[in-house]
Amino acid sequence: MSRFSELLDDFFYRPDEDVTGLHDFAAGSDGVRAIAPEEVPEEYLAFRLESECYAVPIRGVREISKVPPLTEIPRAEPQLLGVMNLRGELLPVYDIKVRLRLAERPPLVAGPDAPPPPRHARILVLRTQTGPAGVWVDGVVGVVKLKPSMLEAPPPGMRTGDKDCVVGMGRRGPTLYILLDAEQALAP
Amino acid sequence: MNPGSKALAEFVAEATEILDALARDLLVLDERRGQEADPDLVNGIFRAAHSLKGLSGLFGQERISRLAHGTEDLLDRLRLGKLLLDGAVLDALIEALDAFQALLGEAARGTETEVLSGRVDAMAARLASLGAPTEVSEDDPLDRLELEAQVRSVFTEYEEHRLRENVRRGVALWRVRAAFDLSDFDKGLAELNARLKPMGEVISTLPSAQPGGSHGIAFDLIFGGQVDSAALEAGLEGTPAELSPLGVRPAVDVVTPALVRAAQPAVTVRQGAGKSSAAGAGSEKAPPASRPRADTGAGSELGPRESGRDTRGGGKATGAPGTAASSDAADTTAATSRKRREDSSDAPTRDAPDVSAEPRRADAESSSPTKRSGGRKRSSRTPAATPSEEQQPLLPHLSSDGAAQGAVDWPTSVSEGVAHLDVSDPGAPASPGAPEPHESIVPTEPSPAPLVAYLQGAAKASPKGLSVAPSPPAAGPGSAPAPSVGSPSAQTSDTSLRSLTQTVRVDIGRLDGLINMVGELLLIKANLQRLAESARQDGAVALSKLFGQELARETRGLERKLEALQEGLLEARMVPVGQVFDKLARLVRRITREAGKEIEFVISGGEVELDKLIVEELSDPLMHLIRNAIDHGVESPDARLAAGKSRRAVVSLRAEQKGNHVVIEVSDDGAGIDEVRVREVAITRGLITFAQAQEMTRRELLNLIFQPGFSTARSVSELSGRGVGLDVVKNNLGNLSGIIDVWSERGKGTSFHLTLPVTLAIIRALLVGVSGRTYAVPLNSVLEIISVQPRDIRTVERREVLDVRGQTLPFVRLARMFALPDRPVSRYFVVVVGLAQERLGIAVDELHGQQDIVTKPLGGRLQSIRGISGATDLGNRRTVLVLDVAALLEEGMATERRRA
Repeated sequence: MSRFSELLDDFFYRPDEDVTGLHDFAAGSDGVRAIAPEEVPEEYLAFRLESECYAVPIRGVREISKVPPLTEIPRAEPQLLGVMNLRGELLPVYDIKVRLRLAERPPLVAGPDAPPPPRHARILVLRTQTGPAGVWVDGVVGVVKLKPSMLEAPPPGMRTGDKDCVVGMGRRGPTLYILLDAEQALAP
Repeated sequence: MNPGSKALAEFVAEATEILDALARDLLVLDERRGQEADPDLVNGIFRAAHSLKGLSGLFGQERISRLAHGTEDLLDRLRLGKLLLDGAVLDALIEALDAFQALLGEAARGTETEVLSGRVDAMAARLASLGAPTEVSEDDPLDRLELEAQVRSVFTEYEEHRLRENVRRGVALWRVRAAFDLSDFDKGLAELNARLKPMGEVISTLPSAQPGGSHGIAFDLIFGGQVDSAALEAGLEGTPAELSPLGVRPAVDVVTPALVRAAQPAVTVRQGAGKSSAAGAGSEKAPPASRPRADTGAGSELGPRESGRDTRGGGKATGAPGTAASSDAADTTAATSRKRREDSSDAPTRDAPDVSAEPRRADAESSSPTKRSGGRKRSSRTPAATPSEEQQPLLPHLSSDGAAQGAVDWPTSVSEGVAHLDVSDPGAPASPGAPEPHESIVPTEPSPAPLVAYLQGAAKASPKGLSVAPSPPAAGPGSAPAPSVGSPSAQTSDTSLRSLTQTVRVDIGRLDGLINMVGELLLIKANLQRLAESARQDGAVALSKLFGQELARETRGLERKLEALQEGLLEARMVPVGQVFDKLARLVRRITREAGKEIEFVISGGEVELDKLIVEELSDPLMHLIRNAIDHGVESPDARLAAGKSRRAVVSLRAEQKGNHVVIEVSDDGAGIDEVRVREVAITRGLITFAQAQEMTRRELLNLIFQPGFSTARSVSELSGRGVGLDVVKNNLGNLSGIIDVWSERGKGTSFHLTLPVTLAIIRALLVGVSGRTYAVPLNSVLEIISVQPRDIRTVERREVLDVRGQTLPFVRLARMFALPDRPVSRYFVVVVGLAQERLGIAVDELHGQQDIVTKPLGGRLQSIRGISGATDLGNRRTVLVLDVAALLEEGMATERRRA
């Protein structure tokens, strides 16, 4: 069944699909005509938070780490889950679910009372202006290439948070990626 | 290594860097010989000479300072267009560079040879008299410029010169007006400058007469453009700049007599050189060709003033006899060398090719000018150099009484100067900058080995310079071409490219990395130790007991070596706190002048060593405190007299090692802090209630000045100025795990005590457990640990206290402070921490023992976390937070205050 849908998917093209080559073909162009500047796809890292699929530009991701034991920081802001030791480097780990309104309160993942982390959970180490920062994600989906034409503005309904960390939506195939501005998502 | 030699080593390292830069720039100038010199480049060289002068003055290197002064002066004239940059000037500069190298070499060995001193004097005299005046036309081109007189009046001399130069050359001048927002005008201005730079020269940046809007600021840039207006406009696209041309009226054709004056520069030069060297050490007044400013003859008077690192008489006492003696001696040598010069000067050009064929040799040590010319003579022209002449420079201390006298005299008087300092200030050890006394100036081997440096740049530059522009007749004695290879005293050594110092400048980040690595090694060692222990104890392991013992022994060996490694690394990070003190001393001089006070600035304990990072971070807080002391703590001289004190106020800066801590004290003997006023202000600002104020001790009241919000600009004047941003100072120190304390008595003065850890890198820590979490407490602030039953905790006025040997100890529970889930325990361990006079008991659940830890700072994003100074790794992948004792203490005290 899935194979069938894939075939169908290949056959039809969606309105947002990049079909410049097809147009050229249909117009009988022999390539002499000035080719419209080719869209450079940008790579995003897609990850899962609760059941939603989010993505950040892969340039901003330094690495992906399994969840090490986290040490909670007393009296820190709630979205700071704790600190982790990554090959001798000390990194803060943040929760962004609360900011994205996916959760009421950050999960208890640090300290002696924390349960072992879920099997698929990972820490994304992001580069930010104030140094590297870890972000807890529920799972890493993979790298997706999105062309500018695949991006759209976030639906007005999404713009609810006090900090605008959703910068747009990316659509590729059947999947919709919510694009995040990491800097904003981690802003205090 | 004793402090004196360490300071000296630092001086040599820093001076070498400056010389490197100087040589690089000179090389560029040399390559463009004959072209118009880039004003920026000349300016850069000028600044380098200036820094060298300041630096050597600071370290009591009088000869270098003197020569640098001469060089700076020459460059200043050059920069202001009073002198043309011709070949002779450039050669002289390059030779001065050689001389600097030689001087630095001697300074590094702690010796001072007469020949070199003589060379310095001759060189300084030559620099002063050098140069051709530029074409000065009576008709000032600036008058032709359509620029308002009041704008012109604010130009510095240098700017005026550049402007004149541009007008003279007929460069299109522009007024570029740009308005920026106040918040980021610096960035905007920098960008504008960067854009303008490639298109011409920004001559001056002036605040615009026209206001730039309500929160803007406007600038007028006077700009000499090398491109046409269209290109200029295109280049400024996107900046807020507006262009308007500055008109220049055409020049009036008048033949001025001044033009005639400029016709014979070469003659002037030669005369100048001859005249001043005839006058011995250049005490002759500068010839009319050069400006009266160039008073290098008076350099010996200038030197000592700069060289004292304290502003009291010590410095002066140091200089006077020494220079007198050495200039005497210099007279002798200068005379000798002049004779040589006369001998050899008839064939200077002939020598040039021969010289350029081989790189110039380093002359840092025994190759004084005299000897060099001697050697050269022998090899090239007059083989009949008399033996006595040959020998004199080789054994300067033995052969020439006067010279030896001079060399010995100078350091003696230095130590006298220091002694004088000690008498007047018993607490102060000799300042580390003072040169080593006698033993180091025992005549050394004529060509002591390899402490010689030669700059590659200079080495490349000088032969070329000589061959391209053969101007040696104008050159003084020091300029005799390089010795040829066969020279008998055999500088055949290939040491010339070696650097003077054995110092390596390392980014502190690398050291941090190494220390981290040691930390990890220590963890591995701990694991090995555990393995060895278990192998030794239970025979269950198939290995023999003997093997276990062997393993244990090896592990112990490893431990010792690791400790040594760790210690060595820590040592590498340590620098004398005097580094900061010296900078502050310079600052004090400036502030004192500005404030119109008379200050005696006393420094002691500059040799105390602290972690480099701490020393760096210390400069701002100390500057703040000293500025406060001078601006507001110390009364004006008249007020002091009226109060029955001496006119001169004493501001002192002392460092002292106390165990694991270093205490730095900044004190003044000024008016002191009026605690009654402090109380009033604190109450009116709502920092404390009236009732609290009643209970507070004097000390507590004084400490209120560190409260944020205590000081505002207005209260500054009311309160004799104390409290300017003292909360900032306190915070800065807190970041270094330091603590600040204040003592003051009205009418007698104020002193601040800064208590700092020696290093932040590796510390011994006590590991404690609270509610299942582990924290590390730096052991150097732990005073004792007591075990208490819950029933021992008493409540006094709703705050918890402990009764320890009859004394009441404020007490906090870490679990409550950190809002951790409380776990019922049968007893608490109370870790008593203290810094300075503060004491606080911190209750924890468990003790896990001691360990050496490598603290990592919490980094950029976590800066604002209170009570935690960093984190460490104990080897089980779990990160343990290190408590910031200073912050906790303060917090505990603040809670107390609030509750009271």
